[in-house]
Amino acid sequence: MSMEVVIYACQQAVPDPEALRALWSAGEVRLRVLPEPCSSKVEVFQLLRTLGAPVDLVWVIGCEEQLCRFNEGSHRAGGRMAHTKKYLQEIGLEPARVGRSLVTPGDESALAAIVSEISGRLKSLGPSPLRRAPNAGAQAAAT
Amino acid sequence: MPAKYHIHVRQVPPRFSPLAKSTIIDWAEGCLRCATCVKEQCPVDAYRKRGFDRSQFVDTIDEMCRDCYRCVQGCPRELIFKAANPQYRQMGDAYWTPEILATTWYQAETGKIPVSGAGYGGPFAGPGFDSFWTDMSEIVRPTRDGIHGREYISTSVDLGRKPMFLTFDSNGELTWPSPPLLELPLPIILAEPPFAASPGGMQDIIIQAAGNLETLAILSRNRLGPVPEETAARLMPSYTAGSLDLDDPLLSQLRTLEILDHPEVLEQIEAVKRRYPKLIVSLKVPADGKVVERVAELTAAGAEVIHIFASEQARGLGDSQDLHLKDLIRRCHLRLVEDRLRDTVTLLVSGGLALAEHVAKAIICGADAVIVDLPLLLALECRLCRSCAKGGKCPVEIETLTVKRGAQRVINLIGAWNNQLLEIMGAMGMREVRRLRGEVGRAMFIEDLEKEIFAPLFANREVETIKREPN
Repeated sequence: MSMEVVIYACQQAVPDPEALRALWSAGEVRLRVLPEPCSSKVEVFQLLRTLGAPVDLVWVIGCEEQLCRFNEGSHRAGGRMAHTKKYLQEIGLEPARVGRSLVTPGDESALAAIVSEISGRLKSLGPSPLRRAPNAGAQAAAT
Repeated sequence: MPAKYHIHVRQVPPRFSPLAKSTIIDWAEGCLRCATCVKEQCPVDAYRKRGFDRSQFVDTIDEMCRDCYRCVQGCPRELIFKAANPQYRQMGDAYWTPEILATTWYQAETGKIPVSGAGYGGPFAGPGFDSFWTDMSEIVRPTRDGIHGREYISTSVDLGRKPMFLTFDSNGELTWPSPPLLELPLPIILAEPPFAASPGGMQDIIIQAAGNLETLAILSRNRLGPVPEETAARLMPSYTAGSLDLDDPLLSQLRTLEILDHPEVLEQIEAVKRRYPKLIVSLKVPADGKVVERVAELTAAGAEVIHIFASEQARGLGDSQDLHLKDLIRRCHLRLVEDRLRDTVTLLVSGGLALAEHVAKAIICGADAVIVDLPLLLALECRLCRSCAKGGKCPVEIETLTVKRGAQRVINLIGAWNNQLLEIMGAMGMREVRRLRGEVGRAMFIEDLEKEIFAPLFANREVETIKREPN
């Protein structure tokens, strides 16, 4: 079963999404990097519906809070991530299926570390339970 | 009077949400819970209708938003922003810009002319086709209004060799048979794009659209499957130097074909014409440093149709990369005028024709008709990610598109382009696209304006400044 990872990446934190894609080498796993104007563009419903697509792991990469171009964007994204994790726990899904990293814009070594963290997380979690129950995935996506 | 040529456009909604130019950032945290939220006052009700596109992982609110900024300005806690959408900006490349992609999608969906309605905010002039303007001095004449005017504007063009004179015998009959000529109702020929997620499906879409538009479809003979007889009349198969087999049964059903230029091409054409005298043969010539000489040579030798092909970015090939297609067309056209052979041959051009205005401008520079390829792929919602060219998955699943739906989107795009051509010609006071060919007197080139108008103006200003300074 092929797995899929979706990364929502703030365009300031990851100015070159191609570089991030190039770091990815997990052959069977499909990676999608979606550039966003700020990590705070990604809302809770978007994270949940992405998981319900179904996607095996959803990750948000933002800037360090003090470097956020929208001042409060990165801070707000952190709050949303915590809320999403709590919600996932309540409905019986692993909260670890969503994750967030903060980087200093242009720090390529940090991006490499994030890719390795994502690969490790995906390995330990395995395929999403929503893949095994496609109807459940559709229901989750509709919520 | 013959029936007025009309392209029947029909709304074909996109299968995937088109990426919006800007995106809404909605910070709900810290909301004051006003009695009437600005989100409820959205004129298009985007906040209530918003959903999630599971194939692209995007919030559909941006697709609905009309950029009125009512919510942005109205929120008392300033929790809503608009920002440029980086996913939109990253589409295409430096030539095939996101704006070109978005405008092509709109035309393929609606068949309508894209109108911004808020004036033109772009630069005064740019490179390539943006370096000249068409003369719109007749725009006030209502009878010649492009689409709806009473005077019919013809967009028909002829493909084939035109004799410079005729000879008759004593009975008044022509002493030699007139060469074959093919009339197309619009100066646009469809061609297979250089890449596509589903080349077979793309060919079927182009054939169907060409049939509906009554134009031709240029497709590679190597990739072409069995062709029904009724389809063959709309085909212009493209052959490489050594791939043309005179025993190919398809040849007897065709009206025209295309051969890539090579040193023995004239002998090859002679052999084709001996066996199939009614076939019109087009020669595909690269727009390199030798193109002007080659076009002149082939025309003098009796070529019927010459197709000059440039790069995807409308640049010359090989040692002519610094030249734009418009300059190469002009040079070829003027050389044929000098040789007094211009009217004998049909010049087709392709490469980098991305917008409706490029059709009119290529014709003004001297082409008889244009060949369009990549915009046909864009009409099918292509994002120009070129993933298919690398063997990857198509993000908009072009391989699952039905031929009927795809063909209608192509028809819509060409319908919108044809209407724009009519509008341009109406505004120029032209009634026939044949007369637009090489009509540079109806265009203004920035280099000429700079030389003739701006240079003297600014030179005088400089003198005035110098004069004033001592005081």
